[in-house]
Amino acid sequence: MVQSQVDRPLESPLWRRVVQRSLSFGVLPILLLALFLFFGLYEPKFWRAANLINVLRNSSYLMIISSGQMLVLIIGGFDLSVGAVVALTSVAAALTMASLYVSMPESAYLVIVIGVVVALVVGSLVGVVNGLTVAILKVNPFMVTLGTMSIAFGIALYTTTGVPVYGMPDEFTREFGRLRWFNLPVSIYLTAGILLVLWWVMNWTKLGRYIYAIGGNIHAARVSGIPTLVYIVATYTMCSFLAAVTGVLLTARVGSGEATLGPTLMLESIAAAVIGGVSLRGGVGRIELVALGALFLALVTNGMNLIRVDSKIQTIVVGAVLILAVGLDRLKLARR
Amino acid sequence: MAETRSAERAHDAPGTAVVPGASPLLLDLKGITKRFPGVVALDSVDFELRRGEVHVLFGENGAGKSTLTNIVAGTYPADQGRIIFDGRQISHLTPHQARLAGISPVFQEFSLAPDLTVEENLFLGREHAAWGVLHKREMRAKARAVLGDLGFDLRANARVGGLMRAQQQMTEIAKALLQDVKLLILDEPTASLTEHETERLFALIDRLKREGVGIIYVSHRIGEIKRVGDRVTVLRDGKKIGTVDAAAIEEIQLVEMMTGRKIDVLFPTIDCKPGPVLIEASHLSTADGRLVDVSFTVRAGEIVGVAGLVGCGKSELARAVFGLEKLSAGEITIEGAPVRRPKPSTMLKRGVCYFPSDRVAEGLALPRPLRENVSVAALDLPNFTRLRFIRRARERAEVKAIVETLRIRPPQIERPVDFLSGGNRQKVMLARGLTREIRMFLFDEPTVGIDVGAKTEVYQFMKELAEGGSAVLLISSELPEVLNLSHRVYVMHRGRVVTELSGAEITEQAVLSLFFDKKGFGGGAKPAASA
Amino acid sequence: MTLRTMGGAAARRGIVRLGLAFMVSYGALPIIIALMYLGFGLVEPRFHSGDNAINILKQASYLAILATGQMLALLTRGFDLSIGQMTSMVSVASALVMMGVLARNPDAVVLAILAACAVGLAAGLATGAVNGLCVAVFRINPFVVTLGMQGIAMGFATTISDGFPVFNLPIEFTEVFSRSSWLGIPAPVAVCIIVLAVAYIVLNHSVLGRSWYILGGNPRAAHIAGLSSRVHLVSAYVMCSLFVAVGALLLTARTGSGEPNLGGGLMLQSIAAAVIGGVSLRGGEGRVIHVVYGALFVTILSIGMNFVRIDGYIQQIVLGVVVVAAVYLDLLRTRIR
Repeated sequence: MVQSQVDRPLESPLWRRVVQRSLSFGVLPILLLALFLFFGLYEPKFWRAANLINVLRNSSYLMIISSGQMLVLIIGGFDLSVGAVVALTSVAAALTMASLYVSMPESAYLVIVIGVVVALVVGSLVGVVNGLTVAILKVNPFMVTLGTMSIAFGIALYTTTGVPVYGMPDEFTREFGRLRWFNLPVSIYLTAGILLVLWWVMNWTKLGRYIYAIGGNIHAARVSGIPTLVYIVATYTMCSFLAAVTGVLLTARVGSGEATLGPTLMLESIAAAVIGGVSLRGGVGRIELVALGALFLALVTNGMNLIRVDSKIQTIVVGAVLILAVGLDRLKLARR
Repeated sequence: MAETRSAERAHDAPGTAVVPGASPLLLDLKGITKRFPGVVALDSVDFELRRGEVHVLFGENGAGKSTLTNIVAGTYPADQGRIIFDGRQISHLTPHQARLAGISPVFQEFSLAPDLTVEENLFLGREHAAWGVLHKREMRAKARAVLGDLGFDLRANARVGGLMRAQQQMTEIAKALLQDVKLLILDEPTASLTEHETERLFALIDRLKREGVGIIYVSHRIGEIKRVGDRVTVLRDGKKIGTVDAAAIEEIQLVEMMTGRKIDVLFPTIDCKPGPVLIEASHLSTADGRLVDVSFTVRAGEIVGVAGLVGCGKSELARAVFGLEKLSAGEITIEGAPVRRPKPSTMLKRGVCYFPSDRVAEGLALPRPLRENVSVAALDLPNFTRLRFIRRARERAEVKAIVETLRIRPPQIERPVDFLSGGNRQKVMLARGLTREIRMFLFDEPTVGIDVGAKTEVYQFMKELAEGGSAVLLISSELPEVLNLSHRVYVMHRGRVVTELSGAEITEQAVLSLFFDKKGFGGGAKPAASA
Repeated sequence: MTLRTMGGAAARRGIVRLGLAFMVSYGALPIIIALMYLGFGLVEPRFHSGDNAINILKQASYLAILATGQMLALLTRGFDLSIGQMTSMVSVASALVMMGVLARNPDAVVLAILAACAVGLAAGLATGAVNGLCVAVFRINPFVVTLGMQGIAMGFATTISDGFPVFNLPIEFTEVFSRSSWLGIPAPVAVCIIVLAVAYIVLNHSVLGRSWYILGGNPRAAHIAGLSSRVHLVSAYVMCSLFVAVGALLLTARTGSGEPNLGGGLMLQSIAAAVIGGVSLRGGEGRVIHVVYGALFVTILSIGMNFVRIDGYIQQIVLGVVVVAAVYLDLLRTRIR
């Protein structure tokens, strides 16, 4: 009995396994393909390499921040503060670099490194606070991150008085923001790297497994001896760290530290994760699908730009897509 | 797995066969007392377990079996008493420490992460890993070995949330056995296993015994006790009644010890003047297979009891009538008129009221005051409302009167139900039945978790209902309750009604003999439909 | 639990317990609000002027109306994140209608105002209906539904207004709904009182309100007691949105223009006010008076900070801290019980 069950997958032909495998990705790839064709046929400019690279770059920021959001969602939490963390890191990076660059204008790269590190640390700190408050005080994660969102935005705006911060070394923008390897922006490589590492973490390490376990049944995780507190704090910190990375990349691209950077990123990160099939009840979610979800959103935005849909209408589309995605997910559940 | 297991154990238990009785004590509990708000769950209980022994805990629901096992597993601390495990006194035990020490519980509430696979759950919290990186292949091999060794029909890569309950149970057992076990707690392990799987489990238990593992085995099933048990400790109302040798004891003696002569609860004598049939259910089956072709009737003026083991479908029977279970076949007739699609609101209008067993999860809105919890089932009546607005004064008066009738204490109708004791919460729920014209009452475990005084009042309540001409369906796991209150009894087993008894036929032996399978031990005569 | 295991002198415990008992039954909020009002006045005496008192009341009124809507969603174990952008949408839509009517017939001011109010309320009703249907019928997580609706409403508001405020609303509109006094009560305060009264009556005297409480307290118990969750959930979101529409109209009257960015911070503030006031995030608990407390608290805090010249950005930080603290206190309160 056991034997036959174990052996079964080996017996099925390759094509069937391929089909099954791709079915497990759901309708998202098909939808992506359909959109890709639709936009391209409607507006041939869409298919130009320059535009597709643009889509990829735009989606790369969203992919990073959404994969962080995914981690928190899987562990059964929520992070509304990611957008604010982006703003905060942007400001922190710019302020640090600008002030250091004045005193040591000859060592630009050192300034950049210090600035990036400071920014990442500051951003991650928000995650530590989120995680500790959720795990120790047991406050609803939604409210915690709503609070820290307000706090982080407040700090970012206060330290800059709402004005963009200039004066970063040019190398930062040049190397980080505009540099291309093999005609592709660096941020795409970086994103690919981050996604690969996260995929590996989620599938091949204890950390990933425990994130799934805690989100699925925190009681079982505790009884099984998993130090849930540590992992919850770690997960929120990772989420904020990834948001901070996004913040640094965006800062490099924009060329200034802005407290108003990425106001829509919070909504979009949740949308991408949810479209990618991450459950709001925790325990379920796959990084590759979240990446596709982010790509989907970027594609929709870019395509709509090209066919000249008003950017304001695009927010409507994103909102509707979010509700539809979850609604379809519910239907699938109900039928099962 | 046998190889790794005995190899791992070689240092702490010499490889010789262990004879119970002669072997050293593994666990020694002295004077364990545990109180929960309003209840003494365990009253100075002693318990001991030797290496290589299966010690059965036997008793009715609420006798304190699960409290005792939970204390051993570290779920919560004892209020008084001393625990010696493996020669050392233990205090402040957490579930995790207990597992590390070699105490592996298999509870009915599973400790599984639903979104992980069987294999991932087996290793949860003790993955084979180096520097946080999982050794997946190694774990997969071991998981398959363990599952194959146990003979469980489980795929290592199946998602646990999608498994049948029986398969989840197997996962849980396999999980407990994966580590170095010294003491295994099995809480009703065969409740959802098929006969074949049960046999595999018993073979496994025999092997573990030979390896010197001590097993605390919680069960209702007499056949099983004789099959696997070495000693039996009977608990009743949180007190230890006695410990006996499983081989020497007669089944009937065990039952007597379990039920005892309950001097503390007086059952009222209830006159029976059966009137017309009010509830008639014919050939009910539920979509999930928990009810199979069940037919029954309840007449006006009679109390009909439904008895059976946990999970036999007796609760689903009432829930199906009230529209809380999805029916796949069958018909329900209320007062002669068929009900097309039963659902709670229509059933209430038809005069049927269901009192769920789980008052916290299904019965009451805890943060809301008593008044609202009582009147909620009657908000469509002109008694309480006019043009969809609530007649507050009228509501207060009505609820106050009902609170007085049922003697709910304290009689403060604005108090959140949260603050009430179990007995009073139950009465608040029963009060709903008095807010409107209800002639058919479905009680699901009406006296679970309530004190003796409240029990007597609930019985009195049922007496008044029946004698007033209502139809009462009483579903209970407390056998004495069913035996003493019912005019007719249906006995259920594995989703079916096995027999119907009435009048003088209703005796403990008659009912109990039908609870268990004639063959002695194991699951049912037929494998569960789910497998 | 924490109380029982706590050691220490019996007397001290007694006082603590008394204090906690007061907090549990009345909440510490009325006292805190009073202290805050006094405190800001001590630092900046102008804070205690009559004009400022009226200003505080008017400001608190807008917030209280929105927070009452939020409370209805919270009562049913839901959420409404779309409140802020819905406010913007209603503001712009009603302003555009008003201008549209006036463009055809410059004298029909009354008609214009009435039409604007009707359209504003209708917009609110529609939004609430969609929210409610998605939550109740399609069983989509209310958080996602209203998050999506937030985007939709925002897009709608900026699209129809092209992203610019709609200026030159008739002065009568502002006059009636913002500056005038009804029976000596400033108009926004009066409208707020009406909204609160309606909410009070619905919550305490109607089957609808009762059903929300029971549904939020325990949805399964509500089902077994024969309550229909669908109808009641939808109506909770509809009424929530109607209140928000009323609040949006008042805010539009105050600024005298339809503002596509009106609702920016209102979502956070409305949740903050409701939760700080004592509405439970777990559903089933919350009263009109809680919202009044919460709105007063948030308003006094922000106006007070303005008076003592605390930077607006710092205020945002303070609000964030206060929100988290309030939720934590709410948690403590239920744990003690």
